Amino acid sequence: MRVFKKLFYVLLMLPMACIDPYEVEVGEGEQLLTIEGMITTQPGRQVIRLTRSATYGSVFEGLIRPVTGATVIVRDDLGNVVFLAESANDRGAYFTPENFAAQLGRSYTLQIQTPDGTVYTSFPEKVNAVPEINNLSVQTVRIPVEGELNDRSGVQLIAEINDPVDENNFYFWRNGPSVYVLETRPDLFTPRPSDANPSRDPQPKPCCIACFRSEQVSNQSIFIANDDNFNGLTTRIPVAFIEDDGLRFVKTYRIDVRQMSISQEAYRFLRLVKQQTEISGSVFDPPPASIRGNMINLENPEEVVLGYFIVGAETVRRIYIDQNDLTFRQNKAIIPDDCREVPGAQVAPPADWNP
Amino acid sequence: MKRLLPLILFLLTHVAFTQTQPKREVVGRDIGQLKNIKISGRIMDEITGEALVGATVTVPELNVTRITDSNGGFELVLDRAEYILEFRYVGYETIKYPIVAVGDGRISIRMLQEDFQLDDVVIFGRDPEKNIRSTDMGAITLSMNSIKELPPFLGEVDIIRSMATLPGVSQVGEAAAGLNVRGGGADQNLIQFAGAPIYNPTHLFGLFTSFNADVVNDVTLYKSVIPTRYGGRGSSILDILPKTGSIDKWGGDLMLSNFSGKIGVNGPLIKNKLSVRGGFRGSYINWFLGALSNPDLNNSQANFYDGNLVISAPISENNEFTYSYYTSYDDFAFASDTTISWKNNSHSLQWKSKFGEKLSLEALGYYTQYDYSIFNRSGINDFDLNSGIQDFGIKAFMTYQIGENNRLTFGGDFKDLTIQPGELIPSSEQESGILPKKVQDEFGRESGVHFQHELEFGEKIGISYGLRYDMYQYLGPRTVRQYAENQPKSEGSAISERSYADGENIISYDGLGPRGSIRYSLSKYSSIKAGYNKMYQFIHLISNTATIAPTDVWKLSDEFLKPQIVDQYSLGFYNNFKGNIFETSIEVYYKDIQNVVEYKDGANLILQNHIETELVPAQGRAYGIELYVKKNLGRLTGWVSYTYSRSLRRVITPFEEEMINDGEWFASNFDKPHDLTLIGNYKVSTNTSISATFGYSTGRPVTFPEAKFDYSGNNLAFFDRRNEQRLPDFHRLDFSVNFKLKGKGKFYDGDWTFSILNVYGRRNPFSLFFVDEAGAPPQALRLAVLGVPLPSLSYSIKF
Repeated sequence: MRVFKKLFYVLLMLPMACIDPYEVEVGEGEQLLTIEGMITTQPGRQVIRLTRSATYGSVFEGLIRPVTGATVIVRDDLGNVVFLAESANDRGAYFTPENFAAQLGRSYTLQIQTPDGTVYTSFPEKVNAVPEINNLSVQTVRIPVEGELNDRSGVQLIAEINDPVDENNFYFWRNGPSVYVLETRPDLFTPRPSDANPSRDPQPKPCCIACFRSEQVSNQSIFIANDDNFNGLTTRIPVAFIEDDGLRFVKTYRIDVRQMSISQEAYRFLRLVKQQTEISGSVFDPPPASIRGNMINLENPEEVVLGYFIVGAETVRRIYIDQNDLTFRQNKAIIPDDCREVPGAQVAPPADWNP
Repeated sequence: MKRLLPLILFLLTHVAFTQTQPKREVVGRDIGQLKNIKISGRIMDEITGEALVGATVTVPELNVTRITDSNGGFELVLDRAEYILEFRYVGYETIKYPIVAVGDGRISIRMLQEDFQLDDVVIFGRDPEKNIRSTDMGAITLSMNSIKELPPFLGEVDIIRSMATLPGVSQVGEAAAGLNVRGGGADQNLIQFAGAPIYNPTHLFGLFTSFNADVVNDVTLYKSVIPTRYGGRGSSILDILPKTGSIDKWGGDLMLSNFSGKIGVNGPLIKNKLSVRGGFRGSYINWFLGALSNPDLNNSQANFYDGNLVISAPISENNEFTYSYYTSYDDFAFASDTTISWKNNSHSLQWKSKFGEKLSLEALGYYTQYDYSIFNRSGINDFDLNSGIQDFGIKAFMTYQIGENNRLTFGGDFKDLTIQPGELIPSSEQESGILPKKVQDEFGRESGVHFQHELEFGEKIGISYGLRYDMYQYLGPRTVRQYAENQPKSEGSAISERSYADGENIISYDGLGPRGSIRYSLSKYSSIKAGYNKMYQFIHLISNTATIAPTDVWKLSDEFLKPQIVDQYSLGFYNNFKGNIFETSIEVYYKDIQNVVEYKDGANLILQNHIETELVPAQGRAYGIELYVKKNLGRLTGWVSYTYSRSLRRVITPFEEEMINDGEWFASNFDKPHDLTLIGNYKVSTNTSISATFGYSTGRPVTFPEAKFDYSGNNLAFFDRRNEQRLPDFHRLDFSVNFKLKGKGKFYDGDWTFSILNVYGRRNPFSLFFVDEAGAPPQALRLAVLGVPLPSLSYSIKF
């Protein structure tokens, strides 16, 4: 509960408390196989990433390396097998065929054979139904920052869902792709002075002021819920936070929110991840928890395998956020260039742009 | 001839009376009694008329010392003769009081506070050889006067924190509210005020202790062989006794510091019959919060107060009633949307009575309540979360003085406990997207019967032995789950539920707790003692943090969570030097703790109806050696205590997934092997004293990550084996100086105390934690609660 995290501030209340970096001697980390990825009912190229853990340290010694050349398959409880192929330009990422989709009610296991011949398998994960998102709404959030005059801000997306009454549901929300209207100032374009062009004055470009920019915003925090407190109710839950960087909410922002049903064990795993990402060092923090996943080495069950193979049904809801939906916005950021120069930006709207 | 002797003695004493100076007071009506003359009396403060509790009365001629009881009373049994009685009390001038004992009678002694006579300052006004002669082990009483000599924290004398300066007692860290006594958890201490248990005696999340030192008379900590009249907690009893008001004079005191202020008044409602004492303390910390730059804090509001009322009615020489009320309240509103508040309320009524010469009774009834609430008004799914505990109890014991050194105590107690572990109430101000949720209330009853017999065999050997029988019932109404046998308890392994009716017995536990100690005196100034103690504890603090938080939930023993059972063996050597100026002791102990609670990784404890699914049964063991040297007299007084101890835990589970550290012993959160405290108080002049405290201890255990891995865009730490590394060592120096200004009724009269905590600004880490923030590699950060020197100033006057 967020409240407990906040208790921590009480200790900072007195100017005596402080937090500063501290050098610790951390032993050399084990290179443990780490799985990240999920299989959902949304058709598409779904991805499982394999990496090896590294040494934790204040000095950034260890590098997390991808595991390449592994054989990765997903098997369902009817015996159907799907091979995942490693991407040529994204090492360690293994993709399902195009339009692969998990089936509701089926159970899936992930099997991996690493290049050294070790075989790993997951426990079976079942696909449970997920309710639709009835509605998405927007709430402006301001976050005061110590020592700064201007608050940070952004929008919190709140989903309304009808939770099914007859079962225990576990939810996981992720951000899908987003697109927004990007406005730049080509009239202020000032190239770096050079011998050929020594002027330091703006040399306006003729185009373009407005573009549509696509991006993938990842949530730093993890949005999950179980229905213990709202079983069978229509409820509203925060499902994403998008920071206002001075660009996104100038006109219209569109985002897809992906809602997923997950298993109780997957929920427990994600809750531990969330707990760790939100740790504040307060005296009320729980002790560090060992985050174990659902993969094992069949020949050596003692071997620790990190990460979790998540399986679930998925539903997507799209929202267009108008600048006027925000009660507070950051000052508009100025990009003195043609908007097409910005990565991910193009002049033509996406085909399904329909605010 | 037999009849003639008294007459002669009478004449002789009268001759003596007329001939010697100073005058001797003739005590008693002379009916010719020769032996067993009972002289009782009462010692009071000359100015305020308050009873002086724990003062000593010595009869040097007989080598007898008595200590005054909680009413300042004492009793001597003398033969017909002349004596010079000596009365001593900490901070007071010693009185030599010549008497002639001729018959049963009473005397009343008024002692004057000394203004620090330079050469004879007593830190603890106790029987100076009590530590050697009694069979008590591990019982330490600190009078308020001695606690007040320690450097204050934010201008306030802190009773609970002061206990951590004693050997065998430690705290997790600088902001930790709980005490860890000889390797036990914070929930294993029974903290009672005027006989009533107090469940969360803290203000401001543990920064302050919520007992106002001005209404406390003394504090006794029992950590080794605990008298059988106490039960229900595994490690220690912290018995805090309130101060009664004066029975003949009104008075008061006022104190202001830079964080809080307090005022106290006391006096006779009916002279010599009914006295009252009231105390109130409140904070004005809000101005301070507003001045801070942290935006989350300068919009926050913090309030706290505590209040006390003590009414004492010595209705006759043999009967006294004392009523005590204690309340404490805190609220803290976070800038954004959340308010958290907690409060204690406790009432107790005590009756002390004497039946004839040998038999006395102490009976007490109490009601105590602790509640906390969280109000969330964030705009989405607003809620209130309430939780509480109610404890009603009665206890009584009788003491039968069989002979001078032969005493029997016996009695019984009963308590009725109700716990509301949590109720979530959606706020009615808007349509709510959350369900109301209530964790089932818990009902339990504890009762105990006990006896204890203390006796001496000659000069050398004294023994004390006793037995306490504890009974506990866990009662309905309640719905209880059954779980599949060979699986860990979880949502998935629940197979059925059973409902119990109102008042129906769900499960009961009982146990015999023998306790005993033996003392062998090597000389008048040294002795060896050995003891054994067994305790049962039927209530557990469910808290997965290193310290006590106001939001922690208490849980009664049920069919899954068995009572904690603590066996302790201890051995000690005690020696006083130089006429009791120096007091030393060495104690060793070994402790075995059954049914400790450990938590599954990432346990979810809030609003948890089936807490057994989040817990793992464990056992504990602790052992240590404690060295203690105290200087009681002189300009420089103080003590050195050093403890080497270990506190270990081990989970006992057949299931691999519940294992912690492969089922091996691991260090508990408060395992700090080396612990050293130095305390000194130096009287510079009659009006000025300085004191300093230095503490050193091994850093407490922490868990370091074994590897880092990527998940969902975060660099995460993989923790595997718990508590295998340690924080850096802890050390800190505190300093304070006290001036007594004596004017003639001027406003600046009174005591000024200036203190600096953490003089050299050591950043002792409370915790190390591992974060991955955008723009930096994942790293370890250290939280230091008291990272800078912290000054405070307070001013107090008596009126």
